[in-house]
Amino acid sequence: MPAPTDDDLLLDVARGDQAAYAALYDRIAGLVYGIVRRVVRDPAQSEEVAQEVLVEVWRTAARFDPDRGSAHTWILTMAHRRAIDRVRSEQASRDRTHRVGQGQQQREYDAVSEEVEVAFEHEQVRAALATLTDLQREAVELAYYKGYTYREVAELLDTPLGTIKTRMRDGLIRLRDAMGVAS
Amino acid sequence: MTADIHTLTGAYAADALDDDERRFFEQHLEACDACAQEVAELLATAARLGGAAAEPPPPDLKVRVLDEIDRTRQEAPRPRAGDGAGSTGTATGRPWWGRLLVPAAAVLVVLGIGVGVLVNDLYGRVDSLQDQQVRYEEILAAPDARWVETQGPDGSVGRVVLSPSRGEAVLLVDGMAPAPHEHTYELWVIDAAGATPAGVFDVDDRGRVSRVVTGDFTEAAAIGVTVEPEGGSPQPTSDPVMVLELGT
Repeated sequence: MPAPTDDDLLLDVARGDQAAYAALYDRIAGLVYGIVRRVVRDPAQSEEVAQEVLVEVWRTAARFDPDRGSAHTWILTMAHRRAIDRVRSEQASRDRTHRVGQGQQQREYDAVSEEVEVAFEHEQVRAALATLTDLQREAVELAYYKGYTYREVAELLDTPLGTIKTRMRDGLIRLRDAMGVAS
Repeated sequence: MTADIHTLTGAYAADALDDDERRFFEQHLEACDACAQEVAELLATAARLGGAAAEPPPPDLKVRVLDEIDRTRQEAPRPRAGDGAGSTGTATGRPWWGRLLVPAAAVLVVLGIGVGVLVNDLYGRVDSLQDQQVRYEEILAAPDARWVETQGPDGSVGRVVLSPSRGEAVLLVDGMAPAPHEHTYELWVIDAAGATPAGVFDVDDRGRVSRVVTGDFTEAAAIGVTVEPEGGSPQPTSDPVMVLELGT
C-alpha cells in the first residue's frame, strides 16, 4: 500500500475528510507560508494570509481537478495570488514603484536569488534560473517574488511594456523546459 | 501600445496582470486552447518557483487552521466531467484556473449592458447577454486579436482588444467621469479618410463601460472618444477625450 500522494489527499479532503486534511497540511503548510512570506514580507501579515489560503484549500477542495494540474500547482497558485492581492491592497503601486525606484531596487533584486531558502527542489530551481538571461530572470523574479505588475516592472527597468511581457513569457518557458515541467 | 494578446501567458502565470487585464485575459483563455495549455504549463512552472521559497510555518498555525476548518463549510463538490452528469455545464467544462475567480465573462457582460440599455423582456435580456458574451469570446480568441491601451489625462484608462479580420473590437473604459448633462460620449473609428461614428455610450456610476465596437479596422489608425450633444453627431464636434492609437 503506497503512501498517498498529495493529489490523493486533496481528493479525500474534497470529500470532507479532516484527517486527510491534517496529513496534507503537514506537507503543504511550508510551501504556502514560504511563498506568502516571500511576497508579503511582514511575518504577522504572512501568517494571516497563509491561514486564509490553508482554510481556502479545505473550503474549495472540490474545485481541484487532477486532470488540469497537480495539487501543488493548485495550492501554490492560490497562495501566490492571495499574497499578491494582499500586497496590492496594502499599497498603491505608485508608492511601491517610487520607493523601489530610489536606487534600492538593484540591491534588492540582486539579493533575490541569493536568499531563496534551502528547500526541496531548491537546487533544481536555482539551476533552472541560472539558464535564463539576466533580463528574463529579472522580469520573472520582480513579478513573481516581489509582486510587481508587468507594467511596474517595465517602469522600474525603463523598458517597453511589450518587451517585458515577452521576457516574462520567454523566461517562464525556458524554466519550464529546464525543469521538465508538464502541466 | 499594442501587443499580441497571446503573449500575456507569462505575465498571467506570474500574477503580474492588474485585475482588469486578468479578467480580459481569462476571457481569452476560455476561448483559446493554445493559450490555456501554455498557461497550465507556466502555472506549474511558477509553482516550482513558489516551492523553492518554502519555509517552516509558525508552529501554532496548524492548531488555528484545524480549528477553523472544523467550523468551515466546504463548497459542494461538482459532478466531475466523465461521471456522465453535468459534464456539459460551463462550471465543469472550464479549467480549474478559470474558476479561481468570478467568471470574467459575467463581470464583463454586466458592465456591457451598462447605462441606458432598457431591456423590458427577460428572454430578450438573456438572449442579448448570451450574444454579447459569445461576441466577446470570439473577438478575444481571434487569431489576429491585438491589445491596445491608453491612459487619459484625467486618469481614465481605455483598453481595446481588436480583431481587424472580424471588423470588431471589445472596448473597456475605466475611471471616466459621466458625460456632462445633455451630452453623451461618442466613439469614432479614425482612418486617413476621417472619423466614422461607431456608436454612443455613457459610463456607469463607477466610471466604467464595456462594449463591442464594429467598423473597418483594416486601415484604421485609431479609435477615438469625444463628448457630443445627446444623440451623437455625424462628425466629431470637439477634441477627443481619449484616443487609442492602433499602431498599425
